[in-house]
Amino acid sequence: MKKQFRHAIITGIVFGIITSFLFLIGFTGIAADMFGDLLQNKSAAPFMNLTPQMLDMLIFLGLIGLWAGSNGSHKVKGQTDDPIGPAVFGGLITGLVHGLFVSVLALLVGTLDAKGVKINTYLYQILPAVVKLFILAKTPIQGALFHLVFLTATGLLGGILSRGLGRSAWQSRLQKKRNESFSKISQAGIFNKIRSNRMILYSVYGIVLVLLFLLPLRAGQYWNYTIGTVGVYVLLGLGLNIVVGLAGLLDLGYVAFFAIGAYTMALLSAPAPHHLLWNFWIALPIGIGLATITGILLGAPVLRMRGDYLAIVTLGFGEMIRILLKSDVLTSFTRGPKGVPSIGGPTLFGKPFNSDIDFVYLIFLAVLLIIFVTNRLQNSRIGRAWEAMREDEIVSRAMGINTMKQKLLAFAIGAAFAGLGGAIFASRNQFTGPEDFSLMVSINVVALVIVGGMGNIPGVIAGALVLKGLPEVLRQMQDYRVLIFGALLVVMMLWRPAGLIPSSRRRMEVERDAGVQETAGEGREK
Amino acid sequence: MTIALETHSLTKYFGGLTAVDNVDLIIQENAIFSVIGPNGAGKTTFYNCITGFYEPDNGEVLFFGKSLLGLSPDQVAYRGISRTYQNIRLFANMSAMENILVGQHSRLRATWMDAILHTPRVMKEEKEAVEQARKLLNFVGLAGLGDQLARNLPYGAQRRLEIARALASQPKLLLLDEPTAGMNPHETSEMKDFIRRLRDELGITILLIEHDMRVVMGISEQIAVLDYGAKIAEGTPTEICCNPHVIEAYLGSGAASGLKNTEAQPA
Repeated sequence: MKKQFRHAIITGIVFGIITSFLFLIGFTGIAADMFGDLLQNKSAAPFMNLTPQMLDMLIFLGLIGLWAGSNGSHKVKGQTDDPIGPAVFGGLITGLVHGLFVSVLALLVGTLDAKGVKINTYLYQILPAVVKLFILAKTPIQGALFHLVFLTATGLLGGILSRGLGRSAWQSRLQKKRNESFSKISQAGIFNKIRSNRMILYSVYGIVLVLLFLLPLRAGQYWNYTIGTVGVYVLLGLGLNIVVGLAGLLDLGYVAFFAIGAYTMALLSAPAPHHLLWNFWIALPIGIGLATITGILLGAPVLRMRGDYLAIVTLGFGEMIRILLKSDVLTSFTRGPKGVPSIGGPTLFGKPFNSDIDFVYLIFLAVLLIIFVTNRLQNSRIGRAWEAMREDEIVSRAMGINTMKQKLLAFAIGAAFAGLGGAIFASRNQFTGPEDFSLMVSINVVALVIVGGMGNIPGVIAGALVLKGLPEVLRQMQDYRVLIFGALLVVMMLWRPAGLIPSSRRRMEVERDAGVQETAGEGREK
Repeated sequence: MTIALETHSLTKYFGGLTAVDNVDLIIQENAIFSVIGPNGAGKTTFYNCITGFYEPDNGEVLFFGKSLLGLSPDQVAYRGISRTYQNIRLFANMSAMENILVGQHSRLRATWMDAILHTPRVMKEEKEAVEQARKLLNFVGLAGLGDQLARNLPYGAQRRLEIARALASQPKLLLLDEPTAGMNPHETSEMKDFIRRLRDELGITILLIEHDMRVVMGISEQIAVLDYGAKIAEGTPTEICCNPHVIEAYLGSGAASGLKNTEAQPA
């Protein structure tokens, strides 16, 4: 009991500090607005004298309270398996301490505000409106009492809920389930059957495709633009995934191939500076081809270097391309820093692509194509050679792998994907300039491959969604966007050092034992 | 009898140090040939000269009559020489099956276009490769562990997987570098039988670096002793363990009598 008490007090203090901090940086108000957006209840009628905004804030605080309660009611070491008593006790104590912190804070800022002190001169986020929201537009004492009661109640509830669902119980149940599914996998049971059952597999693909088809129609213009950008980054990520994730060559100048694809498209299809006005579908393969050739030309000398040296050289190359595009030397050819405007878009069956939706579909198609190609390459002799090279270059040479040739191949294919992404990117934006190809693009792509999970297609997609999508979603938080984003990255790498979706090995031996004969053929491409 | 591997006055310098000093060896096809010697005697350097990792400074290496000099390690592998390493060097984050499939790299023909298009020829080749890998897993006694990551396998299994990977290229000559290092007596004796099986069942010529004298004396037909890079003796196990140079350089004076006792007992 004493241990439980101490644990609950400490948890309460920690959560008290967290909540107070969130208030002091003005996050309570932002969170309330976000919940408001989410619930679409901004114009709802007041409930018990509380405006919708206050209710939204209370939802946010309530969730924290529940979390605190469930944490505070954790089973303490050496505790007997008494189901409910200590949990309720722990939740209650945690909630009480948590509530005390917050109510003291509410009392303090409420009183100061009532006395006319302008807190926002010291803490610029604490505007009078925020304070008013925090004490729920009541007197400071009422507000403080309300918080105390509210957080104690949610803490208690959290404690009961966690034990009711059995915090330790559901964790052990989850663990058990996980173990069961693992053993199922190793026994090649139902999991393998589902995986190798083409009907189920293809219907899942079908559903995903339908969702992908419907998504752009439902999303607005802004979201379609964002989806398109994420898509282009998925393309880049999948390309770099081959170079970094599979072949293990750290390429920090990947943006160069992206730039070459984009500028090829721009110069061939734009009215200025050359007035060539070529068709998109002709310029596209030329862009891809040029990027590939550049990849080979750069790779041939540079890939003799390893590790850090390779990273530095490619980094320099990426910057070189950008600076070259900006320089006076090429102004007559590329319009220099002014960039190339009015880049042509594709037409398909006489229908010009002019909305973001059209481009989203085009990008989806490109991504699907790239996924298909990557998947096939990865699960082939070539892909295995790449991974072997990444694991141990010397040994892979002794296994008969011509490492130079395979590295060049990986580099060229990665460059081709980047060229494709660049060409589509330029055509969609209808403008491209040297500043589109800054070092940050390379770094972002490397980061998304690492965060998502190296050498893994779903991982790369998840990484692109998180790195390029999340900042857009977090736009609500304005100034804290970058802070929260950074914190999320740190937390992510701590919790999942191998990436969001770590790459898993294809099962090959038990497949046959499961009696699934036909999977030896095409089914293995999954 | 055909000669599998021949070296003529093979020499390799590292700066002022002569790591391999005028070594002449002749290894018959289908033999088990051991190279022994104290630490730093140049045994592994000798391997590296054969497999193309080092360019010898002097001398000649002939593999079934054809010179290996100037070939890169991957070309040497194509010719049919495969090796394992003193410290196990598996592709740690790949599954056991994949390790063996990488070992088959030099036998497979699929190009990147084939891989993308899944041409029937390649699908057939891939199917056979997977089948072959399963067989090899069975052969080295790792059936059922094929989908484990290499780094998760127990030590002995890693050693055997490394040999399976080396066998995957269907080599004519297999270079083993201390295959029983770090093994207990029971595992060592299993490995000894296993090496003999490689030769008897697969007909592979085996060149062996080993420190465990029970293994060396038990299975080799010929033994060469290196000391300071130079070959100081060559002969059958009985000849070697009585050779005074060898005893002085490597075995130690107390060892000779002990080894004779070991020899007397059936291995």
